[in-house]
Amino acid sequence: MMKRFLSLLLLSVLVLGCFSACGSESERVLRVYNWQDYIDEGDDETPSVLDAWAEDYYARTGEKVRVQYDTFETNETMLNTLKTGKSQYDLVCPSDYVIQKMIAATENGTDDNLALEKFDYSKLENYTNYASPYIKQVFGENGFDGYAVGYMWGTVGIIYNPEYVDEEDTKSWEIMWNPKYQNRITLKDSVRDAYIPAMSAVYREQILALDGLGLSSAEYRKRLGDLMNSTASEDIDAAGEALKSMKDNIYGLEVDSGKTDIVAGKIHINQAWSGDAAYAIYEAEETAGVQLNFSVPEDGGSVWFDGWVMPKGADTELAHDLVNYLCAPEVAVRNMDYIGYTSIVAGDEVFDYVLESYSAEDGEHTVDLTYYFNGTLSEDYYSEDGKILVQTDEVGRMFSAQYPEESVALRGFIMRDFGNKNEEVLTMWAGFKSNNIAPEILIAIFSVIILGAVAVFLWFTKPKRDSARRRKEWLAKQK
Amino acid sequence: MSKIKFTRKWLALPYALFMILFVVIPLFLILAYAFTDAEGNFTFNNLLTFFGNGSSINTILVSFIIGVANTVICLLIGYPVAYFLAHRDMKMPAVMMLLFIMPMWINFVLRTAASRDLLFWIGINGGEYPYLATMIGMVYNYLPFVILPLYTTMTKLDYSQIEAASDLGARPRQTFTKVILPMTAPGIVSAATMVFMPTMSSFVISDVMGERKLSLIGNSIQLYFDQGLWHMGSIVAVVMLLLIAIGMFATKNVQKEDDVRGTML
Repeated sequence: MMKRFLSLLLLSVLVLGCFSACGSESERVLRVYNWQDYIDEGDDETPSVLDAWAEDYYARTGEKVRVQYDTFETNETMLNTLKTGKSQYDLVCPSDYVIQKMIAATENGTDDNLALEKFDYSKLENYTNYASPYIKQVFGENGFDGYAVGYMWGTVGIIYNPEYVDEEDTKSWEIMWNPKYQNRITLKDSVRDAYIPAMSAVYREQILALDGLGLSSAEYRKRLGDLMNSTASEDIDAAGEALKSMKDNIYGLEVDSGKTDIVAGKIHINQAWSGDAAYAIYEAEETAGVQLNFSVPEDGGSVWFDGWVMPKGADTELAHDLVNYLCAPEVAVRNMDYIGYTSIVAGDEVFDYVLESYSAEDGEHTVDLTYYFNGTLSEDYYSEDGKILVQTDEVGRMFSAQYPEESVALRGFIMRDFGNKNEEVLTMWAGFKSNNIAPEILIAIFSVIILGAVAVFLWFTKPKRDSARRRKEWLAKQK
Repeated sequence: MSKIKFTRKWLALPYALFMILFVVIPLFLILAYAFTDAEGNFTFNNLLTFFGNGSSINTILVSFIIGVANTVICLLIGYPVAYFLAHRDMKMPAVMMLLFIMPMWINFVLRTAASRDLLFWIGINGGEYPYLATMIGMVYNYLPFVILPLYTTMTKLDYSQIEAASDLGARPRQTFTKVILPMTAPGIVSAATMVFMPTMSSFVISDVMGERKLSLIGNSIQLYFDQGLWHMGSIVAVVMLLLIAIGMFATKNVQKEDDVRGTML
């Protein structure tokens, strides 16, 4: 018996040993940690973007590399993984505010597991040549230069059904409180997204007043960003109050169901990220024949980014190479086409893709995308007066979700990291998410339940008590 | 060297390892997180923040009320059903039982999502009536958990006692309250514990049916952990653990008479 047990043990040790030994071929590995469904994963005929890069790298250098690709669903999951310090990645793709958090951790030396390596732009030829000038500008303004290279970007706005919703109403976040659309609105179940309409309500007058000050667009973004990102305690409270007063007007909060609900007609207004909006608008048209529009409200239009960063200890050489590869316009088009979000890369191929998707010769709108593509295109794309124009019918729809007009993009602020106010904001959020029932009513119901429980208990034990009493009386009588 | 002998005790080793790895250690981890701050120092601050916060009390009270309401409604519906199913005159009880258990074979998330659409269709949408829709979803999901233990108890009912009661002049109502109800008490308690605790800690049903407009203890734990506030999340988990412990203790006396939880689940 013992012998058999030992031999089993031995066998399992051998098998396990082989697993670890057989895997350790001396192959260079690049470990990438990205959002789910956030890169072209190829199909039967075409290899995925990552495989294509590995082949390309082999052709150029003669060195074999393998990509270990892991995905996450939320920034917070990703942060938790990195914070444990158990897994080393070479490239990670967080959102703007997380990049900000990681840069702060690097510069203040507060958390080694979140610290970053710096990029060397001389090794990122494609980024320098093809990244949109608008994106570079905004990255510089937010202090991301050196630490992060953009990947995808977009706006936060609302998808709406023009059949039921007045277009004028969609130009302000006030729509979320508009009783005309009661129970037809959904809000994103995410404190950072909900903070946008809330702060817009808190500072509406000041935000609208910014227009009259004749500010440059960079200054406007800065001033608007300061207002919308305010985390002074009284502003957090005010945001909480604003959200609470919204709660009875909206249908509910959602993370994923909004897209299908608006197509099904359950709701008519859905707070959404531009990439999701492009997808929903397309799906609604294709599957249900429903027309949906997208609008970024003017009193607090927000822009977001996801970008590549290299955690401390990353293989920076390979990481640079892959990021540079992803910044090539033809690769950017592949990814955009696959995931539906907008790449930060401009260039001829990307503009061709835009024309192919949205251009209509007799389109009623002419949209000026100079702010986005300027300096990345070859000469023949410019109009006579030096503009980059698209003639299209898709304004206010998919096209606007993918490429906001200049006025929207230039006014877009970035939601910053809440920093050490994070917990306070979350407490406000938990308060908003808890139940809209007055404490007096709750306590009243609670007391009724407790009284009921006591009554049931007494009633059930009554026979026992009765018989005990009778027994006592009987015993007393006997004496 | 003493010889290691392979005895029957060794067979318990895998489970012991499992218990230590997945029950004992996590329990201590939760406690450790609940009573430490971000720097790892011991503190009662999390507990104080939790009880000093109106929304936590609100969440606990609402969870408790929904838990009780769900238990009572499930019992009111499930008790007669179980009684008839278990009755000796019932034809094909297994088939009938199957019909009640069948919904449980459909994936829980799918089932909840489908009931959300169904309710919307008949006009009880979660946006306008988040509490009503959530209650319906809860009852729908937990009803089988009530019927099963009650059914098991009732199949063991001694009908001669019921007959004796009426022979001795008890009216039907008296027969029920004095004979049937006490005989099925263990089943009721078992059913109640199987519904009450999970209801309080569930978060999928309230999220889907209530359109995320209401918050139970489970939702609040999820919120804190999602946002990386592990210490706050852990204290909520500890409070819930205590509530469950109190619940178990309160029903312990009735339980020991008969263990009826081993059912066809």
